[in-house]
Amino acid sequence: MSDDPDKVWPTGLTLREAEEVHSYMIDGTRVFGVIALLAHILVAVSTPWLG
Amino acid sequence: MNNAKLWLVVSPNLGIPIFLGAVAVGSFAVHLALVKNTTWIQSFHQGEEISADSAALTEEGAAAATASYAIPATDGATEITVILPDGTHAKALLQPPERLASATQ
Repeated sequence: MSDDPDKVWPTGLTLREAEEVHSYMIDGTRVFGVIALLAHILVAVSTPWLG
Repeated sequence: MNNAKLWLVVSPNLGIPIFLGAVAVGSFAVHLALVKNTTWIQSFHQGEEISADSAALTEEGAAAATASYAIPATDGATEITVILPDGTHAKALLQPPERLASATQ
């Protein structure tokens, strides 16, 4: 796989653009994970889940 | 950015909906399986107590005594006998409040 940053790939993105898209994916996943973790902690303390 | 090159070969227009859809379907399936295969979620949503131990402390649990008898005693007290759910019995003596000589009324 070429690492030429200006090459336009079949999806229409360059490597730099693909990395930008991916950074948003990672940020979104982290935010989702934090909210889900918080929700599970609240459920664990307020319901019979986990005893 | 280990996997960023994914978007060079998979269009984000396709890959992002698939990714988000997989997360949504997967988490929904896990929670649906929990609701269908456990009993405590339904019980909790029906308002049952969180802990099985605390159930004995509720009014319902306390009302489970088989019978109770109140026998007035000669000195104004009342002796109460309670037959407990396990067949044993317990007695309580209810005495009227004492009137002290120092009381003004």
